[in-house]
Amino acid sequence: MTILATEGLTKRYPRVTALDRLTVTAGPGVTGLVGANGAGKSTLIKILLGLLEPTAGRAEVLGMDSATQALAIRRVVGYMPEHDCLPPDISATEFVIHMARLSGIPRTAARERAADTLRHVGLYEERYRPIGGYSTGMRQRVKLAQALVHDPRVVFLDEPTNGLDPQGRDDMLALIRRIGTEFGISVVVTSHLLGELERICDHVIVIDGGRLLRSSSITEFTQATETITVEVEDGHDELLARLAEAGEQAVRHRRRLAVKVRSEATFDAVRDAVCDLGLSLIRLERVRGSIEDVFRGELEEVR
Amino acid sequence: MSDARPTGVIHDIGYRHYEGRRLGRGPAFAALMAHNLRGAFGLRRPFRAKLVPFLLGGVMLLPALVSIAVMAMFKERALPYHTFTALLQVIPAIFLAAQAPYLAALDLRYRILPLYLSRPILVTDYVGAKLAAMTLALYALIAVPLTAMFIGELVIDLPGPPDTHGYAAAMTTGLILAVFLAAAGLLVASVTPRRGLGVAAVAALYLLTSAVSLVLYGVLSATGHDDEARWALLINPFFLVDAMQTWLFGTEPVTGTGYPPGPITAMLFVACTALAIGGLVARYRSVASR
Repeated sequence: MTILATEGLTKRYPRVTALDRLTVTAGPGVTGLVGANGAGKSTLIKILLGLLEPTAGRAEVLGMDSATQALAIRRVVGYMPEHDCLPPDISATEFVIHMARLSGIPRTAARERAADTLRHVGLYEERYRPIGGYSTGMRQRVKLAQALVHDPRVVFLDEPTNGLDPQGRDDMLALIRRIGTEFGISVVVTSHLLGELERICDHVIVIDGGRLLRSSSITEFTQATETITVEVEDGHDELLARLAEAGEQAVRHRRRLAVKVRSEATFDAVRDAVCDLGLSLIRLERVRGSIEDVFRGELEEVR
Repeated sequence: MSDARPTGVIHDIGYRHYEGRRLGRGPAFAALMAHNLRGAFGLRRPFRAKLVPFLLGGVMLLPALVSIAVMAMFKERALPYHTFTALLQVIPAIFLAAQAPYLAALDLRYRILPLYLSRPILVTDYVGAKLAAMTLALYALIAVPLTAMFIGELVIDLPGPPDTHGYAAAMTTGLILAVFLAAAGLLVASVTPRRGLGVAAVAALYLLTSAVSLVLYGVLSATGHDDEARWALLINPFFLVDAMQTWLFGTEPVTGTGYPPGPITAMLFVACTALAIGGLVARYRSVASR
C-alpha cells in the first residue's frame, strides 16, 4: 500500500518554482521528508491535503487524488503545521475536542478521544488551562494532539521539533516513532535536520529546490557510511600502513583512525593488525554514519 | 513532570483506534458555528472575554425592563417594538465592532485557519459558520429584549389586543439587520489580522455612515431638498432596514420623515448584503490559497 504518490508534480509561483516535476512514493511506516528551508516540503504537504493546486502533475494520498478527493483525504489525514496555530484563550481540551468535531467525530467520542490523545502526547493537568500560557514544548504537543485526535491513517508533521530544546526534541522524536509503530499510524515528517530523522524513520526522501534528490530506506542510507573508529596508544601510522596493505580504507584523524566497513572481514583485519603490531588498544567502536554525510556528498556531486 | 503522575492508578492501556461513526460536513458546520457563537459571548473563555458582550447585553435589556415597568404602572406602551433596534442602534454597533474582529481576526492572527482548512470542510463552510454565528449573536442581542418586552406585555395584559404585529415586525427586521451587520462587520474585520485595528475599523465605519447620513440629511433638508434628504438617511444601515420595515410591515418610520419607495430600499439592502457576503467569501478564498 502506498501512503503517498506524486507524479511529475510541479508548483510554480510567479517568482519561484517550489516543486519541479517531483515524482515520489512512500509506503507505510515513518517517512522522513528532508530538505533545506524552501526546498518545497511544506508546499508538497499542502498539495497533498488539497489546499494548493499544483501547476502540473498529480498527487495521491492513500490512493485518493488530492485534486478531486480532497475532502475524503482530509477525513483520514492529520496535519500538524510548521508554524504556531493555536488560539491563546481557550484550553487545550476545548480546542482538541473542537478539532475532532470538525473531522466528524460525534460529541461524546470527541471528548473521550481528546482526553486520550492529550494523555498520549504527554499533557496532563495543564490541558484545562488556556493555551496562551503554554511553553513551546506544550504547544507542540497540542499541535500534535489535534493532528491525531480523529485517529487518522496518516499524519503529516511539518517540522515538529522546531523550537524545542534538546530534551523536548528527543521526547518529540520518541513520540513520533511511537505513532508510527505502536499507534499504527503512518507518518510523514519533515525536517531540515537529517540527523534527527535517521533516528526515527524507515524511509527517507530528500528533496532540494523542489526536486527529488534521493528516496531510499534508512538502512541503505546508513550502510554506505558505516565506519569503525580505532584508537591506540601509539603507532597510528604503522596501523594505518598495515591496514592499507590488507586493502582496507582508513584515514587518520589525529589520535584515532576511521576505517570504512567493507564487510565483516574488516573487523577481523583491524583486530589482526592491532595484535600483530602489538599495539595497546584503547577504543574500538562501530560508528553509524549519519545520512547528513551522505547527503552532503551527494549535494556536492549534484552541484 | 513524570513525578507528578500518580503511579499505579492510571493504567496506560495504549493507543486505541476510533471505530465509531464519522459525520459529514453538516455536523462539522454546526460545531464550528457553535464554537464561534460561544466565542462571540466569551463563553468557555476567560472572564474578561465575557465582559463586553454581557455588559452590552445588559444595556440592551435595560430599556426593555423600563418599558415593562412603565407598562405595569401606567398600562400603556412606552417603547414600540418596531423602533427598538433603531433607537438603540449604537449598542448592536458596538457589539459588532467588539466581537466581529474576535471571530475574524483571531484565526488569521494566530494562523489557525490552515488547521481548519486541513479538516474535511470547505472555505464556504468556514465562512458560513462564522457568518451564522455572528448573525445569531447579534440577533440574540436584539431578540432577547424584544421578547422580554413582549412577554411582559402579555403578562401585564394591557387594555386592547397585544401588539403581535409590531413584535413580529421587529423580530423579522432584527434578523435581516443582523445578517447584514454580521457580513459587513466580518468583512471589514477580516482585512486585518490585528484585533484592535479591526475593532477601530468596524466602529469607524459605523460612525462614518451614521455621521455622513446625519450631516447630509441636515444639509439637504435645510436647503429644501426633502426627497434627497430621505435618501441620505439610508446611508445608515439601521435606517435602511427601518425603511424596509416600514415598507414590509407598514410601521411608522423611526425618523419621522419617511423613506424613499420600499422596493428600491429593499433592493438596495439585498445588493449591499450580497456584496458583503460575496466579499467575505472572496477574502477568505484568497487567504486560504496562500
